Amino acid sequence: MKVDVDMSICLLHGQCVIAAPAVFSFDDAGGLVWVAEVDEGLRGDVEAAADACPEQAILIG
Amino acid sequence: MTQADLHKDDAPYLDVADPTFSIRSQAVMEARDASWYARTPYGLAALRYEDVQKLLRHPKLRQGSYRWPAHSGVTGGIFARWWESMLLSQEGDTHARLRRMANPAFSPKLITDLRPKFQALANRLIDQFAAKGECDFIADFTEPYATGVICDLLGLPFEKWRELADIAGEMGLALGVTFKQDLPVVEAATARLMAYAEDLVAARRAAPSDDFIGMLVQANADKSQLSDQELIDMIVLAIFGGIDTTRNQIGLAMAMFIEHPDQWALLAEQPDLAKAAVEEVMRVRPTVTWVTREATEDFTYNDLPIAAGTTLHLFSQSACSDPAVFANPDFDITADRKPHFGFGGGAHHCLGHFIARGDMTEALKLLAQRLRNPRFNGTVSWLPDSGNTGAISMPIAFDPS
Repeated sequence: MKVDVDMSICLLHGQCVIAAPAVFSFDDAGGLVWVAEVDEGLRGDVEAAADACPEQAILIG
Repeated sequence: MTQADLHKDDAPYLDVADPTFSIRSQAVMEARDASWYARTPYGLAALRYEDVQKLLRHPKLRQGSYRWPAHSGVTGGIFARWWESMLLSQEGDTHARLRRMANPAFSPKLITDLRPKFQALANRLIDQFAAKGECDFIADFTEPYATGVICDLLGLPFEKWRELADIAGEMGLALGVTFKQDLPVVEAATARLMAYAEDLVAARRAAPSDDFIGMLVQANADKSQLSDQELIDMIVLAIFGGIDTTRNQIGLAMAMFIEHPDQWALLAEQPDLAKAAVEEVMRVRPTVTWVTREATEDFTYNDLPIAAGTTLHLFSQSACSDPAVFANPDFDITADRKPHFGFGGGAHHCLGHFIARGDMTEALKLLAQRLRNPRFNGTVSWLPDSGNTGAISMPIAFDPS
């Protein structure tokens, strides 16, 4: 499955990092990084992250 | 003395502990023009949009009010036990685990089912005073509405609202400066709310459901992820955290619209603007006027050394009228705005914001359509204009229908 984040609306709350730490993380500069092609086994976590994002910025392909 | 110390001494001072201090005062605006921060009796206050945005999610800062009971001289009892162990007071792995467990119960997906209930509740309350042409907007609308929403969420009949509002109000005395004197009342109210939560959980265990409590009970199936006590604490937080905030925010919305009647008329004509209206009200008149953070270690920000343990108040109110970001900061529900900080931000971003946004949107939509030409009808009684603010009572008049 493909994962993308609309960085034009992301506010870096980090709720996705809490919900799906294997997929989303912060780099040393505080920027959001994510795995773009995710194993199906992590679908539940990614969906939870998309659901919890206060800005609803996560796109699942 | 280093240059940074000189800088610190030169910074404006704001006495935010003074009950007459107003976060909307000229002094705050002048301080914001002069400096990105001010000194306060508690520590520092961040005043500008860019800094509040960065500091809300700064890795060297934690949520700042976790030690409130201890600071108030309260070191034991069930309120302090609850306050210190609930979600908002936690950080790191424990916070992440609790947040993951709570998220499904606060999902935006649940709002679709709740929306018709919010509408029915708003109409039911407006029906009681629409023909009279006047009401106390807090006692007759915002308080029963905010508490009624919680009843809907918990699956309780609306008639329970008064009891829940009273318990939350008594428990809320814990957040005031007289907490220690009020401790017996606070403890009794907290015990009643815990018992309430336990009854709700017992009912869902007997009859599983996919509603709010049902989702939390499901999360509790794995007790290593959400223990029985953590489950109860979460429900108490949802009730305690959801009532006053929503009550105050809708009251502040009405005050803004009474001062801007053209905007109210526009909202009545174009109900689809209600969602944007909620955001605009929370930008210019948030009930949560500041967010509290505490430095977990020594660090430097904008050349200012900040020592571990320093309290920072991030002024959501002054940040969101910062002329550097809002060229025309006047109240305008049609304007395209940068995001406000009325729900905080970062790891502790308000868990209930989808519900709050949903219920306030439905309330404003129906109020604008049914209460035409609202105006103040007597003296409005206000909480201090800082911290968590709002109206205590708000007599209004409008065209009877």
